[in-house]
Amino acid sequence: MARRWWTLPLFLVSALAPSFSLAGPAFENTAIVRTIELGGSLVHVSTTYAVKALEPGQTTYQIALSKVERAKTSWLEAKVKGQTTPLKLSEDESSAEYLLSISLPKALAVNGTLNLVLETMQTHATHPFPEQAAQNEPQLLKYETDLFTISPYTTLVQRTKIKSIAPNVISYTTPHDVDSFVRDGSVTRSGGTITYGPYHDIQTDTDFVAKHQQSVSVHYSFDYPVIEVETLRRTAEISHWGSNLNIEDKAHLHNAGPTLKGHFSRLEYQSQNFQRKQAPHILSDFTLHLPPGVTNAYFYDQNGNVSTSHLRTAPSVAKGSKAVQYSVLQLRPRYPVLGGWNYSYTIGFDTPLQDSVSYDAKDGVYMVGVPVMTPIPGTVVNDAEVKIILPEGATNVKFVSPFPEISNSMSTHISYLDTAGRPAVTFTYKDLTYKHTGTIYVSYQVPLSAHLKKAVSVSAAFFSLFAFAFMARRVNLNLHKK
Amino acid sequence: MPAAYPLPSDLSPVTVANTASLLRIIALALISGAAIASRLFAVINFESIIHEFDPWFNYRATKVLASQGFYEFWNWFDPTAWYPLGRVVGGTIYPGLMATSGVIYNLLHALNLPVDIRNVCVLLAPGFSALTAWATYMFTKEMKDESAGLLAAAFIGIVPGYISRSVAGSYDNEAIAIFLLMFTFFAWIKALKQGSAFWGTITAVFYFYMVAAWGGYAFITNMIPLHALVLLLMGRFTGRLYVAYSSWYAIGTLSSMQVPFVGFQPVRTSEHMAALGVFGLLQIVAFGQLVRAHVSSKQFQELLLAAVISLGLIGFFGIVGLTYKGWIAPWTGRFYSLWDTGYAKKYIPIIASVSEHQPTAWPSFFMDLHFLIFLFPAGVVMCFRTLRDEHIFVIIYAVVASYFAGVMVRLMLTLTPVVCVSAAVALSSLMDTYLDPTEPSVEDDKSESSNTPSTGTSASRPATPATSKKTKKNKEKEKEKEASASAGSVLSELVSNVTSSAVAAKSATTAERGVFGMDTRLVVLLNSLGLLLFFVVHCTWVTSNAYSSPSVVLSSTSSDGGKNLIDDFREAYHWLRQNTAEDAVVMSWWDYGYQIAGMADRPTLVDNNTWNNTHIATVGKAMSSPEDIAYPILRKHDVSYVLIIFGGLIGYSGDDINKFLWMVRIAQGVWPDEIQEPNYFNRGEYRVDSEASPAMRDSLMYKMSYYRFAELFGGQQPVDRVRGQHVPVQGPTLDYLEEAYTTENWIVRIYEVKKDDVLGRDLKIANAFNQGKKRKRTKPMSRRKAIGA
Repeated sequence: MARRWWTLPLFLVSALAPSFSLAGPAFENTAIVRTIELGGSLVHVSTTYAVKALEPGQTTYQIALSKVERAKTSWLEAKVKGQTTPLKLSEDESSAEYLLSISLPKALAVNGTLNLVLETMQTHATHPFPEQAAQNEPQLLKYETDLFTISPYTTLVQRTKIKSIAPNVISYTTPHDVDSFVRDGSVTRSGGTITYGPYHDIQTDTDFVAKHQQSVSVHYSFDYPVIEVETLRRTAEISHWGSNLNIEDKAHLHNAGPTLKGHFSRLEYQSQNFQRKQAPHILSDFTLHLPPGVTNAYFYDQNGNVSTSHLRTAPSVAKGSKAVQYSVLQLRPRYPVLGGWNYSYTIGFDTPLQDSVSYDAKDGVYMVGVPVMTPIPGTVVNDAEVKIILPEGATNVKFVSPFPEISNSMSTHISYLDTAGRPAVTFTYKDLTYKHTGTIYVSYQVPLSAHLKKAVSVSAAFFSLFAFAFMARRVNLNLHKK
Repeated sequence: MPAAYPLPSDLSPVTVANTASLLRIIALALISGAAIASRLFAVINFESIIHEFDPWFNYRATKVLASQGFYEFWNWFDPTAWYPLGRVVGGTIYPGLMATSGVIYNLLHALNLPVDIRNVCVLLAPGFSALTAWATYMFTKEMKDESAGLLAAAFIGIVPGYISRSVAGSYDNEAIAIFLLMFTFFAWIKALKQGSAFWGTITAVFYFYMVAAWGGYAFITNMIPLHALVLLLMGRFTGRLYVAYSSWYAIGTLSSMQVPFVGFQPVRTSEHMAALGVFGLLQIVAFGQLVRAHVSSKQFQELLLAAVISLGLIGFFGIVGLTYKGWIAPWTGRFYSLWDTGYAKKYIPIIASVSEHQPTAWPSFFMDLHFLIFLFPAGVVMCFRTLRDEHIFVIIYAVVASYFAGVMVRLMLTLTPVVCVSAAVALSSLMDTYLDPTEPSVEDDKSESSNTPSTGTSASRPATPATSKKTKKNKEKEKEKEASASAGSVLSELVSNVTSSAVAAKSATTAERGVFGMDTRLVVLLNSLGLLLFFVVHCTWVTSNAYSSPSVVLSSTSSDGGKNLIDDFREAYHWLRQNTAEDAVVMSWWDYGYQIAGMADRPTLVDNNTWNNTHIATVGKAMSSPEDIAYPILRKHDVSYVLIIFGGLIGYSGDDINKFLWMVRIAQGVWPDEIQEPNYFNRGEYRVDSEASPAMRDSLMYKMSYYRFAELFGGQQPVDRVRGQHVPVQGPTLDYLEEAYTTENWIVRIYEVKKDDVLGRDLKIANAFNQGKKRKRTKPMSRRKAIGA
């Protein structure tokens, strides 16, 4: 692993060389500050680039990410500091390196400055170290990253802050061979925050990367369980007759923290609970924020209903109102999920259809919004599949995902008393985090005949049944007339 | 025309017939609704879940059938049961139940009704209870009339004796078997009455279904021949009996042999010999009849004598000889235990250890049948009064089923239908008598009827009609006749179309009997109504309180009156399912085998299909032996986890320590030298506290149950809440096992069997070394110092 870290910059160099020359000296970074907030499954990185244009009329700024970092990053967003609208990003994947081109809101004049913020969410970036922990031991994780933030442009000063929530940092790497950039000290620690830098006058070109780029790691204790949802299957079924949107999630949960050393002791667990000092790697319950107006919520697993959950519902909010309300569902798995343990379950709920569907009477088009997922705080969803089942006979189906999906497909789903089946749209995603809480929009049309199809077929079936009974009762098949 | 109350007289008979038919349909529909609804307590109070133990296997088998199709199911070899032996499931079960659910499941899916297979299984028993109500209606209709039929249907619909085996989730063979039993009997009566081969075939088809569904089919196999034999002995042999019986036996036996689990048993085991014998007898008698029609009576008598003696001897020696040679299997142990209730306890402890095989306690008759148990003898007596062929059937059924219900709690189920039928016959006769508006008329009946209201309140005792009878003894005969003839009201004819003739005939002979006035009628009817109401209340109460617990989920009432669910079983099974290796073998007492297979999906050593006594005894031995003896047994059987049930913390009395003596007894049956029951008692007392016997304290079961239990009490005296005993503060230690999981209320405790020591040491020594090493560092040091000093 470590070898790869070292050889990687060599790749970068060859790949970056042409793009660097292309980008040339259009910009200069007066400062780069990278803040890494350590977590369990998720690591939040926000990098601020103080940009100064060296040439007039520049509209595209480029950000470089190492390939490993890009692979870990499941979500990224660039903004002008202080503004809320994200900037347009385009990725260049052609090289071995990732270059993100950001369209600036307006062209910068020479010496014009701008502060850009790149926020990324890294998943599976930490690993437990040691890999096993007994029930009463703390949970220690390790995070590794590159020391220097690479950029196609010269950087006057850059620093990296790594923040751990708990102040208990076991160890961190002290960088070597950085004396030429350092004026005060290469690394400082204050509480749970470790600051690398400031490093001055960095030109991350081929030579530099080969010579100075290095991996730093932080070994820290984390007080919350490291939870991964390995698979999440969401099914959203729209019923016009029932005026109902049913959402069902089948999830397979995995505690990706250090695996349990030895065995689980109920006695210890109960006494930990009693003293309110629960071990950090035990997941005993979690909370979900469901939409308002939820009814008929259920929570079960392969062996039936799990009775240990609480739901506090909030009433539906009027469409367009800014009020943010949630129904809160507190789930407690059948057993506490310790390190390395799994728990699979199904939750589902109904919401009123008018909360998520709107109807355009002019075109006769329905538009439904289905949230991609209901995030569990601090978890990553490795594989997600969202299936939206439209009413029977829906035509002219169009859909749009809030962020790029891995694949989408149309299929037919047959449910209660269907004759032709319902069209269904399926999306697949990878590595979803709480940042991926967008809404999938699907538009469709349902002709009146399709609405009536079910009613007609059911009544026809019943009519024929009664007609048959009527006939059978009045036809005498006896050979011997009495 | 004297009548106690006026009846409308301007209705056409067709209207009445149609209305009555509609009312019957509505009544049956309501009865079905009530039957289904009262079985849903379990779903409403808990959830749609499979109950208890055996249903979990049936459910698992049904899932295989539904997901992989019938042929896969038929050839299903289950390697996870009875590890390492495995089980040929297709050939060792009655597939009727699973096939029924499979058909329903596929039918619903063909109609695009994607109902979960679990819900099909859970709701199968309530659904079939509605059919049972209908079959009982048809059966009782043959006995008396439609009104008795409706009463019987209502009784069987809600009577706890049947509900106990058919609540929603109780997915067991009995769920469909009682319907099949009643319908087979109905078809048999119909066939017998009409002498119809068609109905005989229907009887055979339903008999086949019953054979495929429940081991209790032997009850039908013996009831019908017994009925036929009794009819024969009563000199009631007719062509109808011959046709009905022969068609049933021939088709029924051949088709029943198609069920793999039954196979050649119908011709090779003693339980089925009665049917074969009666079949033969009927052929002989029919032949005899034929011969008698052709020869003179003196010759016939000689012929008969010789034939009876020789055939009897040949038949007897034939059966004895075949049994001796092993062609016919002798009675099985379960069968003997029906005649000698002590038999099982002595020779087959595994049968005796099942609570539903215990003799019935008296209160449970009332609990399960309420006032029907009082009406039941009355109904049987009524059958004697009109002794038609079908009434003989009910009488035999009543006698046989009463005996069996007394022997085994479980067979209460077969008694229940006949109790409902007889009680319905009795009650409906009573109702008919007292609803019939016909007054036994006297010449001054006008003054009598005007008298009645004034004396009504004081004279509301049964004595009143008797006293009034005396005053008008005379002339009643003619008047009675006249009255019965003139009671031409259509409704009354309808209400009592069968019995009114009986009542009329009866009252014609004993003219002074009859019912006078509204008050007598009202007293009796209101009393009956009251009884019926109490019956409904009782049934509802018993069903909701006693029979609707899934026993997989326990419920307790918290101090503020709220309901608290104790879900430890599913917690443990789910944990096993998700966090252990898929091929990890779990050892537990056989009660939990099906549940582990169904909910945890792990191989088990023994389960509720108790076919291999030695294997069960092996588990019993492992549980009751000390650790170092049990460990090799566990290792030889590849056991990874041992699961036990421990109720000591919250007072769950159905735990393994309470079942422990059965494990000891069963193990003793196989290894009498190594395991002896008396060793587990301390001076005749079964104790778990500090006075527990050494064998008890060393046994694996005891150690696993109380491992670290004392620490929970934080130094105080630990109490076992089930046994009400103080267990030692110093708890047992384990060398060969380690605790893997304990559920929230400590009901299920799972232990992992340690693998062999890496250095090849005995685990006990290794453990001692691991613990002793720490001690050695301090202790020998000080000793050395002491020597040095």
